[in-house]
Amino acid sequence: MKEPIRITLLRHAVLLVFVAVAIYPVLNVVSISLRPGDRLRSTDLAVIPTDWTLASYVKLFTEQPFLRWLGNSLVVSAGVTLTGVTLASTAGYAFSRFHFVGRKATMLAILTTQMFPATMLLLPLYVLIAALGLIDTWLGLMVFYTATALPFCVWQMKGFYDTISPSLEEAARIDGCSRFQAFWHVVLPLATPGLVITALFSFMTAWSEYIVAAQVMQDERMFTLPLGIKGFQATLSSQWGLYAAASILVSLPVVVVFLALSRYLVNGLTVGSVKE
Amino acid sequence: MASVSLRNLHKRYDSGFHAVRGISLEIPDGEFLVLVGPSGCGKSTTLRMLAGLEEVTEGDVRIGDRVVNDVAPGDRDIAMVFQNYALYPHLTVRDNMAFGLRMRGTPRPEIDRRVQAAAESLSIEGLLARRPRELSGGQRQRVALGRAIVREPAVFLFDEPLSNLDAKLRVQMRAELARLHRRLRTTVVYVTHDQVEAMTLGDRIVLMNHGVIQQADAPLAIYRRPANRFVAAFIGSPTMNFFPGRIEAGAFAVAGTEVRVPLDGEATGLPAGPAVLGIRPEDLVLAGEAAAVATVPVDVVEQTGHETFAHFMLAGDDHVVRLSGDVGARPGDRLPLAVRPGGIHLFAADEAGQRLG
Amino acid sequence: MAALLARASVLTALLVVGFGCSGGDSRTTITIWHQSRPNEREFLADEIARFENQNPGVRVRPLYKETEELRSGFQAAALTGAGPELVYGPSDVLDTFHTMGLIQDLGRWLPPDERADFVAGSLTSLPARDDPAREELVQIGDRFGNHLALVYNRRLLPSPPETTDELIRLALEQTVDQDGDGRIDRYGLVWNYTEPFFAIPFITGFGGWVFQEGESRSSVPESRSPKPALDTPAMREALGFIRDLREVHGVSPANCDYELADSLFKSGRAAMIVNGDWSWSDYLAEPELDAAVAVLPVVSSTGQPMRPMIAPKGYSLNVNAAGPAADAAMAFVRHMTAADTQRRLVERLRMLPVRRSIQADPLFQSDPTLAASQRQLENGRLMPVVTELRAIWDGMRPGYQAVLGGSLTPAAAAGRMQADAEGFIATMHRRIEPSPAATWLPAVAGLGLLGLLVWQLPACARLLADLRANPTAYLFAFPAVAMIFAVIVFPFVWNIVLSLSDMSLTRFRDWRIVGFQNYAEVLTDPRLWGLSGVFLKTILWTVVNVTLHVAIGVMLAVTLNGPVRGKSIYRLLLIIPWAVPAYITALTWRGMFDYEYGAINLVLGRWLGLAPVNWLGEPLRAFEACVITNVWLGFPFMMVIALGGLQGIPQELYEAARIDRAGRWQQFWHITLPLLKPVLLPAATLGAIWTFNNLNVIWLVSNGGEPQDSTHILVSYVYKSVFNLYRYGYGAALSMVMFLILLGASLALLRRGKATENVYG
Repeated sequence: MKEPIRITLLRHAVLLVFVAVAIYPVLNVVSISLRPGDRLRSTDLAVIPTDWTLASYVKLFTEQPFLRWLGNSLVVSAGVTLTGVTLASTAGYAFSRFHFVGRKATMLAILTTQMFPATMLLLPLYVLIAALGLIDTWLGLMVFYTATALPFCVWQMKGFYDTISPSLEEAARIDGCSRFQAFWHVVLPLATPGLVITALFSFMTAWSEYIVAAQVMQDERMFTLPLGIKGFQATLSSQWGLYAAASILVSLPVVVVFLALSRYLVNGLTVGSVKE
Repeated sequence: MASVSLRNLHKRYDSGFHAVRGISLEIPDGEFLVLVGPSGCGKSTTLRMLAGLEEVTEGDVRIGDRVVNDVAPGDRDIAMVFQNYALYPHLTVRDNMAFGLRMRGTPRPEIDRRVQAAAESLSIEGLLARRPRELSGGQRQRVALGRAIVREPAVFLFDEPLSNLDAKLRVQMRAELARLHRRLRTTVVYVTHDQVEAMTLGDRIVLMNHGVIQQADAPLAIYRRPANRFVAAFIGSPTMNFFPGRIEAGAFAVAGTEVRVPLDGEATGLPAGPAVLGIRPEDLVLAGEAAAVATVPVDVVEQTGHETFAHFMLAGDDHVVRLSGDVGARPGDRLPLAVRPGGIHLFAADEAGQRLG
Repeated sequence: MAALLARASVLTALLVVGFGCSGGDSRTTITIWHQSRPNEREFLADEIARFENQNPGVRVRPLYKETEELRSGFQAAALTGAGPELVYGPSDVLDTFHTMGLIQDLGRWLPPDERADFVAGSLTSLPARDDPAREELVQIGDRFGNHLALVYNRRLLPSPPETTDELIRLALEQTVDQDGDGRIDRYGLVWNYTEPFFAIPFITGFGGWVFQEGESRSSVPESRSPKPALDTPAMREALGFIRDLREVHGVSPANCDYELADSLFKSGRAAMIVNGDWSWSDYLAEPELDAAVAVLPVVSSTGQPMRPMIAPKGYSLNVNAAGPAADAAMAFVRHMTAADTQRRLVERLRMLPVRRSIQADPLFQSDPTLAASQRQLENGRLMPVVTELRAIWDGMRPGYQAVLGGSLTPAAAAGRMQADAEGFIATMHRRIEPSPAATWLPAVAGLGLLGLLVWQLPACARLLADLRANPTAYLFAFPAVAMIFAVIVFPFVWNIVLSLSDMSLTRFRDWRIVGFQNYAEVLTDPRLWGLSGVFLKTILWTVVNVTLHVAIGVMLAVTLNGPVRGKSIYRLLLIIPWAVPAYITALTWRGMFDYEYGAINLVLGRWLGLAPVNWLGEPLRAFEACVITNVWLGFPFMMVIALGGLQGIPQELYEAARIDRAGRWQQFWHITLPLLKPVLLPAATLGAIWTFNNLNVIWLVSNGGEPQDSTHILVSYVYKSVFNLYRYGYGAALSMVMFLILLGASLALLRRGKATENVYG
C-alpha cells in the first residue's frame, strides 16, 4: 500500500523530533562520561567536550569491579525475566480464560500491591529479608524483583490473551491437544508481543533497581550494577565521569535485549486468524 | 465412522441459565444431521457438548458405542469447523492441516499424503505454504474444511461454517459440502440458523427452540407437516401466514372477518373450537370470483422476476401470497384467493401451538 | 511486636529457601558502613589491610553507603537486631541514633586518660537516655573538618581577598563577558547557592548562629531541645549580603547549585568558589587550574571572620554489637585513631587529625593547603550534635531559597525560617498519648477479622469446591499470586500497625499502639488537602503525566506502525529514555533546566528568541520541569505497549473502514483506539499508580522539593516527613490514605473500563 508523500513526510517529521528529544539528554550523559575532572555540568551544548577523554571507561574496567557487577546483574535479571515470563504467562492465561472463584478479587488484589509507596515498605522489607536469611543472596533479590514486576506482567498478559479468540484453543483441543498443549502450541505463540513486553519489563525491573538491592546486598562482591554505580555518587563529591560512563554501559544490554526482541513485538500474528 | 446418540442431555450454566433441556437424539452412521433454530436456542451448546468443549450437566453423549461425557475433545474422534474458521495464524496452511495429525503422532509421510489429498480435493494445493492472513475468506473456509477432512474423523461437526461468507460463495460452498458428504459418507452434525442450508444439506433436520427439540424429521416432512406453529413459522420463506379463528363444522372461521375457509383431508374431522390456521404463501392461489375463499386488497408488491409476493392485510395482520412472476398485481388491486388442496395446517390456539389432526 | 510479625510472616511466606553467606572464614568479621569519599576509600582500604595484618583473627568488611542510605539503612538494620558493627560518618546523625537507642556507649573502650590527646570536639558525648546527668561517648572521631573555605584560581587571582569588600571588588573584576555576546563567560564567585549549610559562614560573619547561644565549642548543648535563632539581625544582613552578590553585583550565576558551581570552577569559568575540604584535592589536582585554598574573608561591616561549621568524622558502635565482634571493632577504631595512622592520614589525604600530637607536625607549616585548612578550622564553629539541626536546615531552606528567588525580603525570610524551624522541631518531638482506642483496637481488629472470616465462609466453601472442579485454573494462577503476596503481605500488615502507632524519633524502638491520631492528623493537614495542597498537585501530576505518556506513546506507535523507512532504527532510538537508568538522566535533565547554561533555555533563547525561564527557581516552573522529565522517562514504555497492542488489530478492519470512506483520524478513533484498549488499559492504570507514587523524579529534578518545598507530591511529602522528621507513624498513616485513594480510583476506573472482562465474554 502506497501512502501519500505528505503522510510519509509527516511520519518522519514526528519521529525525528521525538528521536531528538529522546536522545539529547542521553547524549548529555555521554558527554559527562567523556569529560575529565568529574564535571556534571557544562556551559555549552557541545556533546563531545573539547578536552574529551576515555579515562572514565578505562578506569571502569581496570580499577572497578565493573565486569563482576555486570555478571551479577545479568544473573539476577535473567532469573527474574525467566520466572517473570513463566509465571505471568500462566497466571495471565488463568485470569483471561477461567472463571474461577475469586478471580476478579485476586486480579484487583494484585493491582493493589502496586499502590503502596515503595519507600514505606523498605523497613519492613528489610525485616522480612533478614528474617528469611536472604541477606546477601541473589534469591532474595530475585524473589523481590519478580514480585514487583509480576502484577504488571500478569495484567498485561491477560490483556493480550483477551485479544486471542478462544475458538483457536477449542480447535486445538479438538485437534487432540490437552488444555496445556493448546496453551503451549497455540496460545503462547500468538501472545508473543505480550511475552516480549513482559520479558522487557521484568528485565528492566531487575536491571535498574538499587534501593532494595542496597538493603539486601551487604557484600560488595554480590553487588548488582546499579548498586555499584550508585557507589560513584557521594554527597557533594561524586565521581560523575565513572557514574556517567557506567550508566551508558549499563544501558547497552537493554538495547541489545530490545533489539533481539523487537522483531517479535511488531510481527502481527493474530491478524487473519479468526473472523469475527 | 460412527453413530452418535444423545440421551436426555442437559446444560445448565453457573449463572443458572438452562440452555439445553433434555435433548435425546439418535444419529445413525453416515447421516447428515442439521441442528437448526434461532440464536440462543441451544443448538450450538448441544454441538459443543458433543464436541467436548462444554461440560455435560446431565445425560449422556455417545459416539459409536462408548459414552464420551468425560473424554477429552481430542480423543472423541471428531473434527470441527468453526464459524470463524479458527485457523492457527502462526502456522502455514500445511501446518494448520497437519496439526491435528501431528498431535496424534501420525507418521510424517502419512501426514503429507493426507494433507496433499485433502488439499487437492478442495483445490487449495497452491495455498499450502501461505499463512491464514494471506488468504481470502473463501480460501480460509476451505482450509478450515481441509483441516477437518485430513483427520478422517468418525464425526464431522460444523458450527455455522458458512455464515461469514458472502451470498454467492455460500451457495457454492453449500454444494461443495453436499458433494463432500456424498463422497465421504461420514456422520455430520451441522449447526446453522439458516433454514435454506438446513433444507438443502440435511438428511434430517432437528429444529430446536428454548433448549428443546421441536421436531426432528426429513426436510420435506418438516416442511409438509410442521409439528407446531413455531416449526411452521421457522421453515419456509416467506414465512407461513397464520390466521387465528375457530373451527366450525367443516370450515375455519377467521376471527374478525367474514372469511370461512373450507377444511379438507384429515382436518375435516376436527372438533369445533378455537384454533390457528396456517397457510404457506405458495399454497394461496388466485381463483375465480366464485371459487375464491376471500377477496383481499393488495397492500405492497415485491417482484423478484420469476415470482411476485403480494402482501395483504386481514384482520389487522400482514399476510403474503406468492404469485407467478407474470401476474401484474399492483397495490390497491383486489385479489380473489383460494387455498390449494392440502395447503391447510391447523394448530392449537394455545401457547405451544401443537398441530391439530 | 516487630519480631512477632516477622516470625508470623516467615510462617506464611511460601519461600523458605535461602542460604547464608558466611562460611569458610573462621575470622571474626566486622562490617563498617561508611560514607567516605572515593579518595578516602582507598586510604581506608589500605588501613584495613594493615590492621588485618596486625590482627590475623579479624576480617574488616567496609561498605560504602550514601549519607541518607546509611542513616535509614542503619536505623532499619539496628531495629531488627542486625546491622554493621561500626558506622562511620560525620557527627550530625549521632543524636538521632543515640535518641533512637541504636548506638552504644564507647566509654569503656576509651578511658578518660586516653582522651586527653584528642582534639577538643573530636570525641562526641551525649547525655545518657536514662540519666541526663551521665554522659555517654557516642563517637570517636578519626579526622576533623567538613569545613568550608575559599578556593581560588591563581591563574586568575594572585591572592585571595581578606575582607568581603575586597571579595566583592575582586569578584567584580573577574566577572567578565570575554566574547561580548551578552552572556557572562566567567563569574567572580560561585558556591552552592541553594543549600543553607553554605550560608553559615555569612551568618556567623555577621555575628549570628542558628541556635540560641549558650553552648560552647567544646561541649554539646546543655538543653536537650535547643531553640532556633534564625530571625536575627545577623541573619537578615547575611541574607541581604548573599542576595546582593547576585542581584546587585552580579558576580554569581543565578540558581547556582553545587554541581554547577563545581563544574564552573573546575573548567576555569569561575575565579573563586566556597567549598568544603572534601573537594579541595580535586581542585588542586585539576590541570586546568592553579587552585589554592584560603581562609574565608572577614566581613567588612562587622570585622568578624566568616566562620564555617566544622565537625569531626568518626566511628560509632552498633547497639547490637557485643562480644569479640565489638572488641574487634573497637580495636579497629583504636587503629584508625592511633598516632601513626593519623600521621598517614594527614600525609595522604591532607585532612586534619584528631590527635594533638600530630598537629605539631612540620607538614602543617610546609603545606599551604593544610595550613589554610587548619587556620580555617580554628575559627570554625563546631556543628551542634543535635537532631534538631535537621529541622534547622529544613526550616532555613524555603526561606533562604525564597530570598534568592526574589519572592521574599531578607526580613520576611528570616521570620519564616524561624517559624518553620520551630514548627519542625515541635513536630519532631511531638508525643502522641495513647487514646482510648488503643486499648480496644486490637480486640476490635481481631473480632473484625473473625467476622470477615465468617462472612466469607460460604465463599471459601465455594472456593474449595471450585478448586476440585477447576484445578488447572488454580494451578496456573497460583505461583504468580503466591509470589506477589509473599513479598507484600508482611510489609503491608506492618504498615497498618505502624500507622496506628507513635513510632517516631523519641519512640523508635519502644513504640506503642496509640489509636487513630496519625490518621486524624493526616486528614486535617491543610498543607495536604488545601486548594494548592499536595493532594491536588499529586492528582494533577498523575493525570498530566499519564495522559501525555499514553498520548505520545500511542502517537509514536501509530506513526511507527505504518510504512516508514528506517523503522527499526527509530524504534530503537525512541526507547533509549527507558533504557538508560533514570537516576542519571533525571540529573541530566536538572542540568538542562539550568537558568543560564541549561540546554532548554539556550534553545528557547537562541532558536526561538524567548526569554529564559527560571525553571528550577520558581515553584510552578519547577513542577513543570519535573513533569517534562517524567514524561520523557515514561513515553517509551507506553510506546512499546501500544506497538505490541497494534499487532493484534486485524488489517481487514482498516480495509473495511476505508471502504466506508473513514478518514485516517476516524480510523484511528473508531478502530485503533478501541482495540488498543484491552492492552493499554492495564498499562495506563498501573502507569497512573506508579506515577502517583513516583518519588525519584521529584527528588532528583527539584532536589527534594525545591524551591520552598513547592514541588512535593504525596509520596515525596511522605518521604520527607519520615526521613527528615522521623515521623514513622504519621508516614505510615499517610501512605495508608494514599493507598486507599488509589484503591478507590482504580476501582472506579476498572469498573468503567471492565478491564477484568474478556472482550470475548
